[in-house]
Amino acid sequence: MPAREWRVFWSSPTSKAGVLLLASMTIVSLYVLITYPQDFGLRIWNNPGYWADYPKEAPPSWVNLFTADKLPEHMVILTDSPAYTYSDGQYYKVYRLDFQYEYSDTPSFLSITLGPAIFYGRPPYLEITVERPDGLTVPLYFATAGTVLPEETPPYRRFDPSQRIFLSGEEQVARSLQLFLRMNNVDLSYNDVARLGPERIIFLELSGEGLGERVLKGRYIVNVVFIGDTHDDNLSWAKFVVGGKVYGLSGTDRIGRDLAAGLLFGFPVALLIGLVTSVLTTSIGSSLGIMSGYIGGRVDEIIQRVSDILNNIPLLPLLIFFTFIFKPSIWLIVMILVVFGWSGLTIVVRSIVLQVKSEQYVEAAVSLGAPRWRIMSRHVFPRIAPFILAQMILSTPSAILAEASLSFLGLGDPSLPSWGQMLDYSFRSGGVNIGLWWWIIPPGVLIVVTGLTFILLSLGLEPVVSPRLRRMR
Amino acid sequence: MSLVRVLALKAVTLILVLFGVLMLVVLVLGATGVSDRILTAYVGEQLRAVRQELSQRIRDPVELERALETYRSELITAYGLDRPWYTRLPQMILRVLILDLGSSRTVTSFSGSSKVSDIILERLPNTVALVTTAVAISSAVGIALGARAALKAGSRYDRAVSLFSSVSFALPSWWMGLIYILAFSFYLGIFPFGGLYSTPPPTTPLERAADILWHATLPVLTLVTVILGGWAYISRTIVLNVTREDFVAVARAKGLKENLLMRRYIIRPAAPPIVTNIVFAISGSIGGAILTETVFNFPGMGRLYYEAITSFDENLVIALTYLYTLIYIASRFILEILYVVLDPRVRI
Repeated sequence: MPAREWRVFWSSPTSKAGVLLLASMTIVSLYVLITYPQDFGLRIWNNPGYWADYPKEAPPSWVNLFTADKLPEHMVILTDSPAYTYSDGQYYKVYRLDFQYEYSDTPSFLSITLGPAIFYGRPPYLEITVERPDGLTVPLYFATAGTVLPEETPPYRRFDPSQRIFLSGEEQVARSLQLFLRMNNVDLSYNDVARLGPERIIFLELSGEGLGERVLKGRYIVNVVFIGDTHDDNLSWAKFVVGGKVYGLSGTDRIGRDLAAGLLFGFPVALLIGLVTSVLTTSIGSSLGIMSGYIGGRVDEIIQRVSDILNNIPLLPLLIFFTFIFKPSIWLIVMILVVFGWSGLTIVVRSIVLQVKSEQYVEAAVSLGAPRWRIMSRHVFPRIAPFILAQMILSTPSAILAEASLSFLGLGDPSLPSWGQMLDYSFRSGGVNIGLWWWIIPPGVLIVVTGLTFILLSLGLEPVVSPRLRRMR
Repeated sequence: MSLVRVLALKAVTLILVLFGVLMLVVLVLGATGVSDRILTAYVGEQLRAVRQELSQRIRDPVELERALETYRSELITAYGLDRPWYTRLPQMILRVLILDLGSSRTVTSFSGSSKVSDIILERLPNTVALVTTAVAISSAVGIALGARAALKAGSRYDRAVSLFSSVSFALPSWWMGLIYILAFSFYLGIFPFGGLYSTPPPTTPLERAADILWHATLPVLTLVTVILGGWAYISRTIVLNVTREDFVAVARAKGLKENLLMRRYIIRPAAPPIVTNIVFAISGSIGGAILTETVFNFPGMGRLYYEAITSFDENLVIALTYLYTLIYIASRFILEILYVVLDPRVRI
């Protein structure tokens, strides 16, 4: 863009806002492209196992800023350095996982994950207990690290790569909790204990009458004791997860996905779809338009008839139809948008070219004997280039919206999670009906802001494209 | 004479569009083997039903299998599965063209009929009512906003309207619907989450009408929010262009009252493109309502289209795509005629 045009463009606040927004979106996209793994969509985002240790449907952490009662943050405590002791021919390795708990509500779940274990003799014994701030010790879980099969030879390996114990859903945990309560003169049925779960029983105050309502605040210590026959029996690490009731910058969804990760990933996806579609659509549309207008005759007739037909096709029903029949993929969506989307621009460009064609400098070039393609590319195209650029920018949001809409109907590309797909899942799983606002508002706002960025840019380009408007100011 | 030629050319183009879309849909269903798969599944389903029935009467298993095999080959011939898919094609297109839409496979009408024409006729009025109401409201409000903005071009009001139109251009209707549900249904609890009737529906006609209005408010509001901006923008541009014409300057120089100037010199020449836009908006929104109807579980054509596609209901998909195209091109043709009627310049 020559300097004078750039000055005109840059002089309006809308262009500045547009450029600023586009720049920040590009930076975010680059960040995502560099830091996210290639197979983020399939291996991480759409893999429920990856999100098992995340809280489900948790609002963002910053909601705590607006309430007096603080909801628990998500906590992950990990250690790989146990304390060693030896007694009675047994080697004890104690993994001490301690944390401060100062929230007004109990956690949403508890789980523990153990790293690979190695042993040489009898299977080691595992013992998991919790020391409460009030001095009581809660027994949670006891097990041996598997059994040894006759054909196996030492060293035996177990928990490879890791073993997750979901304490909140474990029958054995409920049994030992019932026992713990009974020893403290609280009699509850097994079903009641299982319903309350360790996340409440461990974290609520205990009095003579029963389980209290208030959360017991202070330092909790989880002890994972690994008891082996030989000195070399070893557990690599232990991880304790205190499920929060708030999570991260944008909360989590039904299966615990960190929405902030998905929202960030949506940037490059939206930009990719928008830009690829608009560049292809505009280049096809404008080159056919120039040819149609400049060459005329039968070429003109054919191009105009085809674009007239395409221009009269209801796009959305066909878009839904095609994506449904073929496997939903981002490239298919882009292809359909391009195939059915170039015709409108062709018709407009043709009418502009018809005017440009009769201007003197074009006639001069013709009389000098310049070939047709040269006149089209060197004389006609530069003249209408700003208009084409503005059209290209203006057509970007519609491509982004089209992809979002298809994704919302469940026709998104699962390997590339997008904002539309997040909204699809929140709508279909009833997130709207139970008011999970952090799952519904941000993706939509990002779609609108992305679209608006390109509209602002094209508004800023308007005075460059039509100098008549500039004079009116 | 040339006018007739122009209209005739347009009509031919539009019929080509209709035929082309239909052809495309049937070709894609056939060439990808989807059509065969659907029909085979359907034959299997019918066979299972018949097996149940026959096994009551025919005890001998060998004879039962033979009877079923005969029935199966009959079905295959009847559906044309023994022939390549493209031989079924002309027949199918011909049937749809004369609006013999056949019967659906899984989706039924609310009264239980599986005739495609019954299903569509039941839903079409809902969609048409939804879309026309929304277009009527948004065009009335949008034209007023846009015309005012044009007359005060450059003012703060004008910039606010422009900003609003830009935002609404980037606003997905379905997300707006979700936000309205969140705000008005979940938090405020003043409108229902979706559907068109309460269960059970009220009995008296008056209550019934009120019930439908209550259910339709949010879908209409959603559509209005999304298309209002476009209306304001288009009307602003059209009116602004007219106010810059020389004859407006002359009229103003003559000292005509602003009121008269507005009525006779600005609104009148600006009217034809605005009116044609209304037709255009209705035809465009009928396709666009697919998403809004899905969000609000609104029993219209768009929701039906989505149901038909997700349940692989071939006949219904073809019929609806055809109908969407038909509505679209019919309104395009009306548009062409309106141009001629409203703008005297075209007639010369």
